[in-house]
Amino acid sequence: MIQVEGLSKIYRVAEKQPGLAGTLRHFIRRRTRDVSAVQDVSFRIEPGEMVGFLGANGAGKTTTLKMLCGLIHPSAGEVQVAGFSPQRRQAEFLRRITLVMGQKQQLLWDLPPMDSLRVNAAVYGIPDAVARRRISELADLLELGEELTRPVRKLSLGQRMKAELLAALLHEPEVLFLDEPTLGLDVNAQARVRQFLADYNRRTGATVLLTSHYMADITALCPRVLLIHQGHLFHDGPLEALADQLAPEREVRLELESPVEADALAGLGRLEQLEGCDVRLLVPRDQLTAVVAQLLDRFPVRDLDVTDPPIEELIGGLFRQGRV
Amino acid sequence: MGRYWRTLRRFWGTAVAVQLEYQANVLIELLAVAMSLSGSLFLLSLFYGPDQTLGGWSWAQALMVQGLYTVFDGMATTWLRPNLGAIVTHVREGTLDFVLLKPIDSQFWLSLRTLSPAGLPEIGLGLGLLAWGSHQAGVVLSLSSLFTVLVMLLAGGLILYSLWFLIAATSIWFVKTWNATEVLRALLASGRYPLNAYPPALRLLFTLVLPVAFLTTVPAQVLLGEAAVPVLLAGLALAVLFFAAARAFWLFALRFYTSASS
Amino acid sequence: MRIFGLNRRIIRVLLGSQYAHMLEYRAEIALWALSGVLPFIMLSVWSGSDARSGLGLDGVALDRYFLSAFLVRQFSVVWVVYAFEEDALLGRLSPYLLQPLHPLWRYVAAHLGEQLTRLPFAALIAAVFFAVQPQAFWLPSFGGFLLAWLATWMAFAIAFLFQSLIAALCFWSEKASALERLQFIPFLFLSGLLAPLTAFPPAVRAWAQWTPFPYLIDFPARVLAGQPVDLVAGFGAQLAWIALLLPLVLLLWRAGVRRYSAMGA
Repeated sequence: MIQVEGLSKIYRVAEKQPGLAGTLRHFIRRRTRDVSAVQDVSFRIEPGEMVGFLGANGAGKTTTLKMLCGLIHPSAGEVQVAGFSPQRRQAEFLRRITLVMGQKQQLLWDLPPMDSLRVNAAVYGIPDAVARRRISELADLLELGEELTRPVRKLSLGQRMKAELLAALLHEPEVLFLDEPTLGLDVNAQARVRQFLADYNRRTGATVLLTSHYMADITALCPRVLLIHQGHLFHDGPLEALADQLAPEREVRLELESPVEADALAGLGRLEQLEGCDVRLLVPRDQLTAVVAQLLDRFPVRDLDVTDPPIEELIGGLFRQGRV
Repeated sequence: MGRYWRTLRRFWGTAVAVQLEYQANVLIELLAVAMSLSGSLFLLSLFYGPDQTLGGWSWAQALMVQGLYTVFDGMATTWLRPNLGAIVTHVREGTLDFVLLKPIDSQFWLSLRTLSPAGLPEIGLGLGLLAWGSHQAGVVLSLSSLFTVLVMLLAGGLILYSLWFLIAATSIWFVKTWNATEVLRALLASGRYPLNAYPPALRLLFTLVLPVAFLTTVPAQVLLGEAAVPVLLAGLALAVLFFAAARAFWLFALRFYTSASS
Repeated sequence: MRIFGLNRRIIRVLLGSQYAHMLEYRAEIALWALSGVLPFIMLSVWSGSDARSGLGLDGVALDRYFLSAFLVRQFSVVWVVYAFEEDALLGRLSPYLLQPLHPLWRYVAAHLGEQLTRLPFAALIAAVFFAVQPQAFWLPSFGGFLLAWLATWMAFAIAFLFQSLIAALCFWSEKASALERLQFIPFLFLSGLLAPLTAFPPAVRAWAQWTPFPYLIDFPARVLAGQPVDLVAGFGAQLAWIALLLPLVLLLWRAGVRRYSAMGA
């Protein structure tokens, strides 16, 4: 459904000093530098997949998403979505896709969503009877009722987002591009939106691409994750595999009967914390059983706990370290 | 009981207020248009002492030009300002993307999305003034002159739209110069007066560069039976030219938007 | 000593920050200056018209009048009702009202900052005008310039107070800015921006002089253009209007703020 090969996007940014002198200098001689937003990204997405783009702010995930929609022209590389070249923005292509952006809306502010829906029905050439049916189906799924007849400005953020989703899905697109769809929503609304997206994907087999910096969105919805960092595609696969790759270690927490010295724990893994009787060690996965056996053998252990470091921390640590 | 009564009064009070607000708007618009027109006619009358003309145009003839100007100003208020004024908002808020992803021409969407009915009375008054002036000037309507006038009005409308759109489309580059269309509007006020009221240098400007002449003077000339065919053809040519330029510029602007924005 | 919360230090800081703020919008302000070309359009119509003999101004004098009208307009244009409406809508008003500085001073500072930013562009347009009509060039005498500056300042004050009056009505109704739209129309026609007052029939002229409008453009423009004008009557009328509007604005404003806080809006 989606094929991306060597996709890159480079922006030429003007470098201008502030103030009047800077403006004049800039006018006489422009200085620019190239900013690489996306570099050599390649991946393939099959129909019906739910894929998440994960990355820090400014990593390049929205740029990549917009290149898939055709809103941004790539500097290099090839993109094919549903057999079309998105750049050309052909009507047939546009009918097959939809874009939803968190905190930005296509619905008219002063009118009820119903009015915007009627416009969309006309634009996409959906007969009124068909549109009515789809609206009522989607409204049921999204738990929207009289909200559709209230002006958009009078709806809460959560209701607005649901109405946005309805408007975006009216023409039954095959590919859904969602850019931070749960941004700014409260916990309940986020959960509802996620539930709806999962259901929708199951029912219709639509391909869903989701960008988010909320881990909860990704873990709840996306069996497959593309991690984008500083414009590069760092990881493409299941989220658990990402955890393995990022953190080939597991965390072992010990509560001892009596305190020990740090050197006593040497060779048993990375010591993260030692506070009296409480010990935290990071142990490589493959050595885990051996190390645990040794710990139990050598030390008076009152309690032992083995966990994964939380994913947010792993990815956050990755970004902090600047590792690619 | 008292509480319910008070609540009910609130309900109805706000409902009436909302209704009034909407109606008040229309009333205020109507009043403003009527006042503005009276003022303009008063101003025009200052040019007409006994036996005086403005650029060779009689009072009744100048009224026709004012009427035509008012029609075009009304069209700007009804369609151009609400639609083209929103382009910069789309660019600023990132909602232009939604427009571009609809399977419908983006220029069409942006130009005709909405309308402001408050401008309709102005169009009506302008047509009325045109009719009155024509009658006073002794215009005899023939089918061919009516047809030609309509064609020239269409051409004028296209020129006005294209000019306004060209300027509004620059907001894709410069969000900070969104009020450039106000400069256009100020310059368009020159269309209130017949072309010959201006010195020769400005006459050229108002015919070729900022073709206000084709909006107001030429259609009036058509009705008065004074329009020469070459001028009409020039007007049509300019309309086509400006419209094509607006279209080409929009496609160029989109190319820039899709390659340089993030 | 504070005048409605204003003292020397606040003046400096407020003006400084507003000027810096307006500089960010200089492209937009340049265009606003450019959109004030209406006097020049009217000039070209008047100079070619049969009726110009009735104006008492001809040729060079007419050029100077309209250029002066343009300049006076540039430095007396007021937009406080729109800024205030927006601030009220976006909830910025509450913090302003909590500070020991009368909010209107902020808007005054914003206007002054905008005028300072506008200055180079207005000067540029005037320079272009002189390039096209070199015979109309003149430099007013120092005294004349000071008087013209004072008259323009007073015109600005009158216009600002008038619009503040309308802005204060925003405390009662959201649509108060529509009144500004209506008020603008008599201003346009009676202020002298489109035609010097001498163009009006005597009856209209006499009646217009009871309104503040001629003192907003016609009077200051004539002072600047160095044309014979009754200074005493002109300045007297300007002072009278300020004396009338100032207490009205302050009273209405206070009532409005009371209502605003009562409504908890």
